[in-house]
Amino acid sequence: MVQIVIRGSVDGCSPPQWLLVELQGEMVSRHNSGLAGNVMGDLLYTKEGVPVLIVGHHILYGKLVKLEKPFAVLRKHSGDSPDSYADDATQIPMETDHQGLTSTSYTVSALIKQKLIFKTRPKPIITNVPKKV
Amino acid sequence: MKITLEEVQATLQIAKLNEEDLNPTIHCLSFGENVSSADYCLMELDDTLCKHIEAGQSLVIRGDKDERAVLCSCDKTYDLRIANTSNLLLFVPGCKTPDQLPITQDRACVVHAEIWGFCNSYWEPRKQRPKLKKLKKLLMENPYAGVPLAGQEESKENRYTMQDLLERIQASEEEIKNHLVTIHACQIDGCWCGLDFDYEMKLLSHVTQLVDSESWSFNKVPLQTSLEELAPLEPREMIEHCLNCYGRRYTDKGEVFYALHEDKVCRGLALMLLQNAVKFNLKEFQEVWQQSVPEGMSTRLEQLKGVVLVDRASSPETISLLKVEDLPEDTLERFNLLFTLREKWTEEDITTYIQDLCGEKQTTGALLTKFARSSLQNGIKVFNSRRPVAT
Repeated sequence: MVQIVIRGSVDGCSPPQWLLVELQGEMVSRHNSGLAGNVMGDLLYTKEGVPVLIVGHHILYGKLVKLEKPFAVLRKHSGDSPDSYADDATQIPMETDHQGLTSTSYTVSALIKQKLIFKTRPKPIITNVPKKV
Repeated sequence: MKITLEEVQATLQIAKLNEEDLNPTIHCLSFGENVSSADYCLMELDDTLCKHIEAGQSLVIRGDKDERAVLCSCDKTYDLRIANTSNLLLFVPGCKTPDQLPITQDRACVVHAEIWGFCNSYWEPRKQRPKLKKLKKLLMENPYAGVPLAGQEESKENRYTMQDLLERIQASEEEIKNHLVTIHACQIDGCWCGLDFDYEMKLLSHVTQLVDSESWSFNKVPLQTSLEELAPLEPREMIEHCLNCYGRRYTDKGEVFYALHEDKVCRGLALMLLQNAVKFNLKEFQEVWQQSVPEGMSTRLEQLKGVVLVDRASSPETISLLKVEDLPEDTLERFNLLFTLREKWTEEDITTYIQDLCGEKQTTGALLTKFARSSLQNGIKVFNSRRPVAT
């Protein structure tokens, strides 16, 4: 049997808190070049605190919601490839004497307790508005 | 390529958003470099798990290749499932919520926030009863049965340390520890093993007979004297182990005593009597049983709930051994077996044998509705199988 450890934190403290942004649908990069490194869009808040997202030619309105059940972001570390993530000097291999078992482990990178959810239909941004005659 | 403030403001203009209505901080979101290559996932947390993680504690996933993965904290076990969502979930470390932003700010500013990762599924732990049947099975591979006969060596194989058990049992450490006490397991040279049933009964008999012959109150059994009197018969650690299993230890004026637990002792002696018989005449059994327990203890059928089955429909009434712990852990298999043993069950009788199957917030009533069919027999509600069962 395998035992895989999920470490709460590297230094015994509570993990940092991140924000979740929830969108409907899929995200595809414009030039099919993959998403990594690309700009996604702009996030703003109205003075009343309503989050507004501008993605490409669309504008979406959302709301800030507290999650009923928080999420933990887990980062996987495989035993065979040393991971250079932060201070992993304390990583203890799970299986030392057993054969055939990987020393895979996870760390909790962050906790997420709130999300910005954008459920409304995106409105297209019209760039060319015919001038009134 | 970083977006400048001017570019963002241009976007706002095109989108017809009035800067006056907006908080001056604008987050420009972009995907991090490792968004598609890093290995990560999301896990939903209940209140208990969240507090665990915030306190910096760890969790362990346990499972064999052919078993469902199970998540364990130090004292609870959870079933792990994957939940899918049709929405896209992006996690952004540097993104602030409106209440975290400065309210008054003269000029607009752009904050660059990186999207660390995204996914559309997450792990969903669900609390469940730990799978502990395997524990007894492992510990009974080589149970302790007394000092080996002259010339024979005691086999040390198939005995497990706590670490070994944690690697084989899908349960949290505390649940395992509690179960070890329940099944009367003993630790020899650092390894855990079960106690052979006949040997356990031999130990119990030594203790109860000593109590009777010394005319002690069964609530005040002196440890020291017991060890001295019984040492010629059995190892001292085993006598003490037996007292720990069947009594409560306490100190009085510096001396250690045990208060024997009436229900546990009566139940143990009943098991000993029923062990070798398929069925026992109920009346005869009750007489023999009462005579076998220490002076001052009273036997009651309620003490045997979950270990015996009483057949009041037969003539004469009979009693036989049926231990919940010997029954299958899988719900459907359990019901099938119960209905094979007896076609119709009263609610009271069958509840005893399905109580341990209930998950969190599940009732025996719900299980019965799903897995059995009810009918009235002589005015009493009885349950039988939903499918034809060969008896």
